[in-house]
Amino acid sequence: MTETGIDLVKDGTAATPGTPLLDVRDLQIEFHTREGIAKAVNGVSYSVEAGETLAVLGESGSGKSVTAQAIMGILDMPPGRITGGEILFQGQDLLKMTEAQRRKIRGNKIAMIFQDALSSLNPVLSVGYQLGEMFRVHKGASRKEAKARAVELMDRVRIPAAKDRVNDYPHQFSGGMRQRIMIAMALALEPDLIIADEPTTALDVTVQAQVMDLLAELQQEYRMGLILITHDLGVVADVADRIAVMYAGRIVERGDVREIYRTPAHPYTKGLLDSIPRLDQKGSDLYAIRGLPPTLTSLPAGCSFSPRCDRAREVCVTERPLPVTVLDAEGVPVPGRSSACHFWKETLHG
Amino acid sequence: MADTTREPILEVRNLVKHFPLTQGIVFRRQVGAVRAVDDISFTLYPGETLGIVGESGCGKSTVAKLLMNLERATSGEVLYKGEDISKLSGRALKAVRRNIQMVFQDPYTSLNPRMTVGDIIGEPFDIHPEAAPKGDKQARVRELLDVVGLNPEYINRYPHQFSGGQRQRIGIARGLALNPEIIICDEPVSALDVSVQAQVINLMEKLQDEFGLSYLFIAHDLSIVRHISDRVGVMYLGKMVEIGSDAAIYDHPTHPYTQALLSAVPLPDPDAREGRERIILTGDVPSPANPPSGCRFRTRCWKAEERCAEEMPLLAVPQRYAGADTAVAHDSACHFAEEKQHVAHA
Repeated sequence: MTETGIDLVKDGTAATPGTPLLDVRDLQIEFHTREGIAKAVNGVSYSVEAGETLAVLGESGSGKSVTAQAIMGILDMPPGRITGGEILFQGQDLLKMTEAQRRKIRGNKIAMIFQDALSSLNPVLSVGYQLGEMFRVHKGASRKEAKARAVELMDRVRIPAAKDRVNDYPHQFSGGMRQRIMIAMALALEPDLIIADEPTTALDVTVQAQVMDLLAELQQEYRMGLILITHDLGVVADVADRIAVMYAGRIVERGDVREIYRTPAHPYTKGLLDSIPRLDQKGSDLYAIRGLPPTLTSLPAGCSFSPRCDRAREVCVTERPLPVTVLDAEGVPVPGRSSACHFWKETLHG
Repeated sequence: MADTTREPILEVRNLVKHFPLTQGIVFRRQVGAVRAVDDISFTLYPGETLGIVGESGCGKSTVAKLLMNLERATSGEVLYKGEDISKLSGRALKAVRRNIQMVFQDPYTSLNPRMTVGDIIGEPFDIHPEAAPKGDKQARVRELLDVVGLNPEYINRYPHQFSGGQRQRIGIARGLALNPEIIICDEPVSALDVSVQAQVINLMEKLQDEFGLSYLFIAHDLSIVRHISDRVGVMYLGKMVEIGSDAAIYDHPTHPYTQALLSAVPLPDPDAREGRERIILTGDVPSPANPPSGCRFRTRCWKAEERCAEEMPLLAVPQRYAGADTAVAHDSACHFAEEKQHVAHA
């Protein structure tokens, strides 16, 4: 890797074996709004290992991006407020760190790729300057050195004629190329964890395929953990190892990607999978989940999904279901698989 | 269902739209043109849904504007029941527009925030008094709200009081107000969440059956287009590259661009990761101000040969499939058109 100039040796702060790279525990976030307190995240827990891809799937308002912002330490506070939980990164709680300590981790250890590359890049600075900034600020590189590293990075994410384009400005690049620059920027300091928030939503399908392939390849190469936040069930099926499905600030189902797609154990997941039209077969009627997601200022007392659920009984309205381990047909617990539904068995088996 | 033996309700012939590129302030002179739509022909039959797919910048939204006469065509004809409407103006245009309505992409900006839902849906009646219901206009608006699945009591609410999916229903109700024959939908569900998308798609299909509407459904999401369309046209850089029944396009694509497009769509099925052929295109779409000579796709095509740079391929049934009685015999604008399966599914 020396020819790319990207140094792969990590400094020896890696966590003891056995602890996951990132471990989010019972995270709670609320926002103070004019309508009252919006409970955006209500006890979310997930973990990511090195080299693994976790997809966080959810619709707008499910709390998937807010959780990511809290991990990254870029949540707007106020109006946001973290009211509980821990975010353990390599065994250390990020929420207990000082701002100076977090700055050392941000970009260096945990990097983020945003949806909208055009508004995430500074329009009046060249991309070479913005990429080089990472090395100047974090590594104390000289201007010349930084520019050389920037060109290497642009080559790495396969931007053609990187040498000639390093002094170009963001608007001179196409959408796909800008997203590559965002990826290059995230990779610059070889972080251990990358959070990609809807990285391909703004791109056309043919370009989306290019960018996703690149991201997956680089992740494997550097053995990074990847949290992919998206609403696109197709993208998830393509790249994820595990999924966490979020609804109204809670994880309703989690598990291996194949198992969840084949046999969803939560009515919301099942509804989502049934409501997307398929490219490979012409179905008749689409299943539509009725109603609308709940307002976060007044969540239902029981299961948040119960007003829209076909399976809802009285217990769903009164009692909030806690995540339970899903058992397979022989009654053996499926590792890493859980569903927060009173009737997960009925959902799973029929 | 589409009735292709009947007369087409809309026929587009050699439609062209070039946006001029000018230089100079006092003495403006044209230095070039963006060829947004370049010689496109297709037909729409009564009761049918024609899907138009393509990536951003391919000209699909310009087609919608040209059909609505929101933009003047540079040349070509748009025949509505045999009459060319692309050159109409004034009263004659207004009369035609009653029958062709549009549903827009963004339910947030396409509804006036200062008008109540009742005013928005009732406005078409003010513009076309001859089509307004006799007597109580309010009753008709309430009926329309009910048809699109909204509570008729909401008639005095404002757009900001509704969610995205509900706003799109309001947009659809406005489109239905004048009992049009054709509705042009430009990305009607792309701004909506997955679970709400299905509700709106189902509503549109129900309304089509109920009122015998013809849809021109423009979208970039290939799965949704397949679901709703009887026939599908694929556009690339201002040209129609392939058009045919949904089975022809999705199961037997013969144009390399269609094949690449289909193969790039991520399937919601982790088991399909293997066994499916992925075609990853290199590069970006060229500028429509300076399109490649010959076939416009040749700069990104793996089949391109010299002939592709010299000779523009025509949109017709490929010779090798001429006379074949299967879905593979459909129009495709490629010199080397050849069926490729396993791109849309494993």
